[in-house]
Amino acid sequence: MRDGPTPATLALEGASVDIAGVPVLRGISLAVPPGGRVALIGRNGAGKTTTLRALMGLLPLRRGRVLLGGEDATAIPPHHRPRRGIGYAPEERRLFGTFSVQENLLLPAQVLKLPAAEQRRRLDQVFALLPELTELAPRRAAGLSGGQGKMVALGRALMVGTSAVLLDEPFQGLAPALALRYAEALKRLHEALPDVAILITESNPELLRPLVESAYTIERGEIAAA
Amino acid sequence: MAEWFGDNSGLLGLALLDGLASAGLIFLVAVGLNLVFGVLRIINVAHGSLYAIGAYAAASVGIVFASMGLPAWASLPALVVAAALVGGILGPLIERLVLRRIYGQEEVLQLLVTFALFMILEDVQKLIWGVQPVQHDQAMRLLGTYDVPFAGDVVPFTAYQLFVLPGVALVVLVGLAWFLRRTLTGRVIVAVTTDREAATAMGIDARRVFLLTFTFGAMLAALGGALSSPTGAIVPGIGAQTIVLSFAVVATAGLGQTEGAALTALMIGLGRSIAVYFEPELEVVVPYIIMVAVLLVRPQGLFGSTVARRI
Repeated sequence: MRDGPTPATLALEGASVDIAGVPVLRGISLAVPPGGRVALIGRNGAGKTTTLRALMGLLPLRRGRVLLGGEDATAIPPHHRPRRGIGYAPEERRLFGTFSVQENLLLPAQVLKLPAAEQRRRLDQVFALLPELTELAPRRAAGLSGGQGKMVALGRALMVGTSAVLLDEPFQGLAPALALRYAEALKRLHEALPDVAILITESNPELLRPLVESAYTIERGEIAAA
Repeated sequence: MAEWFGDNSGLLGLALLDGLASAGLIFLVAVGLNLVFGVLRIINVAHGSLYAIGAYAAASVGIVFASMGLPAWASLPALVVAAALVGGILGPLIERLVLRRIYGQEEVLQLLVTFALFMILEDVQKLIWGVQPVQHDQAMRLLGTYDVPFAGDVVPFTAYQLFVLPGVALVVLVGLAWFLRRTLTGRVIVAVTTDREAATAMGIDARRVFLLTFTFGAMLAALGGALSSPTGAIVPGIGAQTIVLSFAVVATAGLGQTEGAALTALMIGLGRSIAVYFEPELEVVVPYIIMVAVLLVRPQGLFGSTVARRI
């Protein structure tokens, strides 16, 4: 059907978003190719989290489009986007505290009504990529440390993120040793699942340089450099 | 104090038995209110109307069942049928037509809208059932009475109030805890309660969960009303009385606490019936004395946590 290069897994085209009447994103365009590893770099308040929330459909666009796999997905309700293979690890983890780690991991797969065998396969895959989660599986999510929580959030995003994962400031507040472990996990992830695109936000560009192929810089809601 | 109760220990026992029944009813209403608030973040004043309509509808269904020549035992399932009908019809109607328009709006607006709904439903009740007391106590008479020994004599208590009311409350408490913990739908409800946006990003359709939770909460309120209907005459105003009392329970327990609501309902139910036996003029204020005393010391409620919600 389609000629030319493979469409981007995730893309924003001229996206503008207002929060409570204040413009936060102004005409953002970015694209993450299949299997691509892309960073979105910017200071606090630049619009990184808003960009990811817009991609997930959690905020309405005032202008512009969201494209998933080249298709206009602007009108797809947010709860249908995980079905498109998009996993999301929000800033601040946002795990469900009363659930165990394993229940947190399984929830998105159960909500998608994946067959039990497929749920098990994905869970095993997450445990293989993030071995520390095997031990944490029965623990209550509320009792995890910040670093453990970020690993669980990454695992949860991978449970449905078969085409892309959006990781919002995963290194924020991690001790250096944990940050290193997280970075290694991302490398393993890319080696094991080379088709899964990764979009990762960060305020410190140095940290991500060895992990990504390209980077966008966002400043005051606009892409400053690509 | 010990001596004062010592002389009246038999009387205290009777007060506890009475309190258990009223605690069961208050719990059913409060736990529904609580669940709805946890998920929808709306304090539904019209929750009391669902209780009242549940009571009226139970009496009507009971009368219809009896006129159809159904056996007497059918009066018990009639109560549950009435509650399911009221919650199953009014719940989705209210959620779709009214609440859906006010999600995420200012709390003052939400309170005004649900209060307006409460007023409308009060008039609807008068329109359908009139202002004369309605009574149908077949379900209570059916089970007979149970003699409780007291001061060398016996006091007859209805088996309905001794066993059915606390029993149903207990079943709902245990069943709800199991449902929320063990079933996928239950966990989805807990996920939306904990963090609506994160739940949505996991693929959960929060709007559907709102509808489901509200309908379920409406059924619990209607069940409370239906179960109360055989114990006395249903008169206009029971909706207001009930909503205020269940607010007291929910505020004392701390918003969003199911088990906490059960314990608090027990405390307030027992407090009230003890007042009836020992200082009857205090009955009406006892729940609020308990509430004020608790909130002065723990503003977040007995079981509530002070974790600030992130915005």
